[in-house]
Amino acid sequence: MLLTVAICVQVKTINKATEKVGATLDDNNGLRDELLSLQGTYETLYKELEKKDAELETIREQAANKSDEDVKNEQEITNNQKLLGLTDVSGAGVIINLDENREIDSSEVLNISEYLVHEEDLLYIVNELFNSGADAISINDQRIVSTTSIVCDGNIIRINGKMVGVPITIKAIGFPERMEYALSRPGGYLQLMADGGVKVYIERSDNIDIPKYEGVYSSEYISRGDE
Amino acid sequence: MKKGKITITITIGLVILILTAVIFLQFKTINQTDITALENMREDELRTEISNFKQKIAEISGQLDETNAKISEYQEAIASNEQASDLLVQELDQQNNIIGKNAVKGSGVVITLTDTRAQKITAEDLRELVNELKIDGAEAISINGQRIVYDSYIVDIGNTFIRINGVESIVSPYVVKAIGDPTYLESGLSKKQYGYIDSKLEEGKDVTLTRQDNIVIEKYNGDLNMEYAN
Repeated sequence: MLLTVAICVQVKTINKATEKVGATLDDNNGLRDELLSLQGTYETLYKELEKKDAELETIREQAANKSDEDVKNEQEITNNQKLLGLTDVSGAGVIINLDENREIDSSEVLNISEYLVHEEDLLYIVNELFNSGADAISINDQRIVSTTSIVCDGNIIRINGKMVGVPITIKAIGFPERMEYALSRPGGYLQLMADGGVKVYIERSDNIDIPKYEGVYSSEYISRGDE
Repeated sequence: MKKGKITITITIGLVILILTAVIFLQFKTINQTDITALENMREDELRTEISNFKQKIAEISGQLDETNAKISEYQEAIASNEQASDLLVQELDQQNNIIGKNAVKGSGVVITLTDTRAQKITAEDLRELVNELKIDGAEAISINGQRIVYDSYIVDIGNTFIRINGVESIVSPYVVKAIGDPTYLESGLSKKQYGYIDSKLEEGKDVTLTRQDNIVIEKYNGDLNMEYAN
């Protein structure tokens, strides 16, 4: 009896889901194919760029052995890759998880928006983490670099142009106790979010891996200003 | 009698097994229906995503060309047994312009935010502005001469000051310089009603924007090394 009811509920859920998907599927097949092929092209180009960057690093090192000045510059170029967020990094730090409270019935709450995670929340947390000495931060594996923006696009959040949804995982490498205290002290931002109904979880870890930024920097408009 | 009992037990067992299998199958189907997946995107979302990827492809192709050109320049230097000093300096400069170790110049916009008797400018106003400028493609940003770098932060110090990068305590007027495509930057900030400038004016805050051709942004004076990340 129970099993039959469970199955019926599930069949209904699936039907609803496919109904919604079905309508868009028929209309947007062409667009979806185009997007898929563009994503494929991008992946291929990115893999190629990774390969060429490695090649450039090797050949630069070979070319830079003629003077001390050259060697020094070559080393700074390599170190700069880390500051640009173009290398994977690891170290001790904190992991913060934010999730929307699904037990809340949106029809019974005056302002559902309080129970959601917003772009301002993420901007605030990133600011607070850097304020407490973070070296590197990622949100759902999107590395926060100097050009990273956090955009609210309808009800979607975009970071580095990529869509980010709940649950949100923020990783930060730095001095764990200091970052944890900055966010989770009484009256701190995470407590405010938790009071607002967002599910908040923070933990310290000795071994956090943060991926590199998988985008490019543009310097179309800037040139060196002090010469 | 005993035989009948066994048959019933086996039958019930089988039925339960089949039902369980069906339930698992369905759970699997539901799991596959990911809400952020491509299949569920609306037409406008698909179009936005398509134009995003076209732009990203153009950027990465440009970067790939640049990297290839650098590789062949280094190859030439090695082949002719010459120093690669100029190439190295050029690459280093380009990086340091982006990172903030060099002062940079270029065209862009200058935004001035001033406290009024009714409304003070807060750290949050400035953080929001920096984020908006990045959305609109700013390549370098400074606030009252403090360069915004990858790990910059902006906080209120009581009700009096705003502190940037942990060193500078600044007060109104806040002069925010951004180098980038002036048209993009201006139109991004000046969107009607929901744009940054209109929403701040609505709150009673004093914000003005001018386009400028020769903006100079000073280099970052702090330390840019990572202590904990390897």
